[in-house]
Amino acid sequence: MVKQSEPPQARQQLVYELVSGLSGIALAIFMWGHMILVGSILTGERGFNWLAGTLEDLYIAQPTVIGVIALFLAHAVFASRKIPAQLRERRQLRDLAKGLGQSGKGWPNVAGAPAFSPHVESMLWIWQVRTGMVIVVLGSFHLVLMGLDVFTPLFGERIGIEAATTLERVRGGLWPLYAILLLCVEFHASVGLYRFAIKWGAGARLKRSVLHRIEQLLFWAILVFGVITLAVLAGWLEPPLAFLLGDNT
Amino acid sequence: MNAKTRRLTVEIFRFNPQDPDATPGTECYEIDESPYMTLYIVLTRIREEMDASLQFDFSCRSAICGSCGMLVNGRPMLACRTLTASLPQHIRLYPLPVFELVGDLSVDTGRWFRNMVQQVEGWIHERAPFDPDAQEERMSDDESLAIYESDRCIECGCCVASCGVANLKPGFAGPAGLNRMARFMMDPRDARDDEAWFDVVSNEDGVFGCIGMMACHDVCPKELPLLEVYAYLRRKTLAAGFR
Repeated sequence: MVKQSEPPQARQQLVYELVSGLSGIALAIFMWGHMILVGSILTGERGFNWLAGTLEDLYIAQPTVIGVIALFLAHAVFASRKIPAQLRERRQLRDLAKGLGQSGKGWPNVAGAPAFSPHVESMLWIWQVRTGMVIVVLGSFHLVLMGLDVFTPLFGERIGIEAATTLERVRGGLWPLYAILLLCVEFHASVGLYRFAIKWGAGARLKRSVLHRIEQLLFWAILVFGVITLAVLAGWLEPPLAFLLGDNT
Repeated sequence: MNAKTRRLTVEIFRFNPQDPDATPGTECYEIDESPYMTLYIVLTRIREEMDASLQFDFSCRSAICGSCGMLVNGRPMLACRTLTASLPQHIRLYPLPVFELVGDLSVDTGRWFRNMVQQVEGWIHERAPFDPDAQEERMSDDESLAIYESDRCIECGCCVASCGVANLKPGFAGPAGLNRMARFMMDPRDARDDEAWFDVVSNEDGVFGCIGMMACHDVCPKELPLLEVYAYLRRKTLAAGFR
């Protein structure tokens, strides 16, 4: 037998797989928490400032920023190792996925049911690569911006995140960038979790169709919440939960 | 009934690699649909009535020999068990990718599977030399059922053709290969322990080559639980890697 790999390499491959998967899960969980934190703007600037100030005073925000940057880089390196390098190979994958995805369209039902269930997961993988690449670019920009905001007095009157400068940035022209980033992150996170669950065997406990539903539910729920938050940040919507903190925000 | 009879347009990939002058292309054939018509019947009628040069593989006509896998409107399927009633009026037939093309719709799955079996050593590694006089070793029902489930693979190659990684990386064991690994890992007669399997399974030609497109599971004509097989392999690598 020709040995495929020496034992240390087998363990190394296992570690790579775990790092890429677990860093993805950690980032997805962080993103939902992050969504809720940013969502504090729904209660108005006062709530947002209070939350940001508290997290910074307690030194929760600063290590989190550093940790997320580390996770972001680790995930980018290890999750991207399976993306084909050649454009020709990517085209081949895309065509295969497209063919599989569209193969069920226009097929008549036999005995009231489609003869073959639709297959979307191949195309979801292609989109996961695409959204991942967008996140690498826009996410890096966002992380640099937030790093500067949290650690330096560059933005606003003090070191740290403030509602006024955040609103100014989003209104000043960053909202399209954040809209794209929001869509990509929510898609990438929910599909990634779904795939991770299937890969390691959650399908044995929950049916795949159920997992797929959970994935779609997560995607839409958090996307809608994110869009409302972004609308407030961009100034198109008055903070809808401002009454929680009293009238003056 | 007659009013409902469709006239099918069957677009078939044509190419003979043996002919130096041939160029790949497709050819369309028109054929009247009949009740319970399968793609096997369609192709046989085309060859008998319209074009005797059409190449395709068939043997059992009952989804057990695994010869007639082909891309039907982009999806790998067995032609013999595919009813035209479940297809649109325009049917595109292409040979399975990944495998070497023999001609038209005929591909050589045999060589691919032989290589794969050699790679994963898909045979029983005996614990002791075979003794024809000894009583057969016993196996629990659960074990034999699990092995049988994986052994139902007919090597048609539909999963391999639908696999993005198998399409790009010739060394990848592919869905059928991963299934084969699991089959012998589960077999109590096999001498290889978790440690020995770890080298074969835990690398980019093994289960970590899989990118999780899940098409293999969806197209398998025998409906093998491939996704569960991969999860089993992954969990086994955890056990072997961190013991």
